[in-house]
Amino acid sequence: MEEAKRNKFPLSKGAALFVAMLASSISHGDLFDSGKVLATGGVSMIDGAGGGGITPWATITGYATKEGINGDLHYTYAPLANYTLHSVGAAVGFWDRFELSYTSSSLTTGSTFDTVGLVTDTLGGATGSLAGTPINTGIEPFNTTIDMEVIGAKVRVFGEAIYDSDNLIPQVAIGAFYKNNKNEDLLKTLKADKAKDWEAYISATKIFFPINTLINVTARYTAANQTGLVGFGGPGGSDKEIRPEVSIAYLLRKDTVIGMEWAKHGDNLEGESVEVAGLDLTSLQPTLETLGLSAVAGTLTQHESDWYDIFVAFFPNKNLSITMAYAMLGNITITPDQHGFYMSLQASF
Amino acid sequence: MKQLFRTIAITFMLSVAASPSFSQTGKTETYPPIDSDALEQFGGPEGVRNWVESLFYYIMLDNRINHVFREFGNIERQIYLNTQLLQLVLGGNEVEYQGASMAAAHADLGITLTQFNAVVEAAYNACERIQLTYEACNLMIAGLAPYKHAIVTR
Ligand code: HEM
Repeated sequence: MEEAKRNKFPLSKGAALFVAMLASSISHGDLFDSGKVLATGGVSMIDGAGGGGITPWATITGYATKEGINGDLHYTYAPLANYTLHSVGAAVGFWDRFELSYTSSSLTTGSTFDTVGLVTDTLGGATGSLAGTPINTGIEPFNTTIDMEVIGAKVRVFGEAIYDSDNLIPQVAIGAFYKNNKNEDLLKTLKADKAKDWEAYISATKIFFPINTLINVTARYTAANQTGLVGFGGPGGSDKEIRPEVSIAYLLRKDTVIGMEWAKHGDNLEGESVEVAGLDLTSLQPTLETLGLSAVAGTLTQHESDWYDIFVAFFPNKNLSITMAYAMLGNITITPDQHGFYMSLQASF
Repeated sequence: MKQLFRTIAITFMLSVAASPSFSQTGKTETYPPIDSDALEQFGGPEGVRNWVESLFYYIMLDNRINHVFREFGNIERQIYLNTQLLQLVLGGNEVEYQGASMAAAHADLGITLTQFNAVVEAAYNACERIQLTYEACNLMIAGLAPYKHAIVTR
């Protein structure tokens, strides 16, 4: 304890010195660097890390080489059938070695949970409580929103994604996200175990110039439901598991890349119903039937599908990238066929 | 003991820096391999010469790197030697490379990765200038990329 106290001061002083050094170097302009070749900084994936659209790559975000630091601001907009995702954040790459990112996501759910809200209202009546328990589903009268903050860090461990065309060793990075989902009540309704959790990943990325192709393979250690937008874990707990993700990109021109991605998703909430005030809605089936709402319970069963996307990323210059994609996210909670367009902008300094 | 360790370390570092894993006077062994008709795609020796000339045109227009070439380079000689080198890298066997090794030629220049990347960007511009396909251009990039280890010393 004493030890920790004594150490704390020099540490914070060290950090302050480091920040001061950074600030002064930036103001002198010799730490800032944008020396990567166009497009080789990649784009920003939805969790904010440098990568593809849904998968973090082993590349460090921004255009800095090992000479300096560089970063980006990113915004992603994905209007799906029942949900709309807005995600905005910033990321900094240090010496092409280390990356820090922050992203704030907001998922509006439109009318998705109105049925649940309707059932709740019907059951709870005017008192807003069920069997004496106040009902707090996290569902608003309209446009229920799920907000999530994601903090990420990534370190490049070894390898060279771009120039080592004479061997098969990929660039490898390890990274982690800490995700904080703000709509705990809705997550409880959807039976997720946790609203906050971390996940870790290892990514391997390599460009094969003779076939104009980039391949990334990632293994993510996570318990997330829909990347955490539907929380983490389920009634069976929130043990993490390893899920693979793959991106294949074809370099069409020096400023245009097309490709596809796949990310394995979990089944923590597979087949689960939604829960209101500690009661499973399927167990309320008789009640619902009496109320003439028998069809409702069947539509309240949750499923989760793997995510797929096909994308085209355009890099008009080193300060801007525009990614357009078609995302095929399948079942999200109680709604099937969540497919739709996806647009992501990245501004680099 | 310390001396011995240092000698081993230096020898290792020098050998890594000085010898890319392929010979400097032949087709670059890449994964997957460079197309067998890469030199034809480039327009043969004439096409290679055109590309190298436009490469130096773009290099000398790039303020991030042109000063290095103005101060230490010899453009005529470099165009001549790079034309030989690239033919070999693309699988040609009609020429001989008469210049210094990549490590020797660049050792004292303290070249950074940012400068190396600037040359790569000039290389892509040169490909467009001579109406080369992007795919053929990437065969050249694949072939020259491994020299990065010998050329970038900082
Ligand atoms: C893959 C990339 C490169 C290739 C294939 C390449 C090739 C060559 C060749 C063939 C020579 C002539 C060697 C001789 O005179 O015997 C040379 C010399 C030279 N290169 Fe490069 N080079 C590359 C990258 C660079 C870069 C990035 C710079 C600096 C920004 C650079 C600066 C020079 C200079 C200044 C010389 C003249 C050195 C002297 O004559 O002493 N090169 N290079």
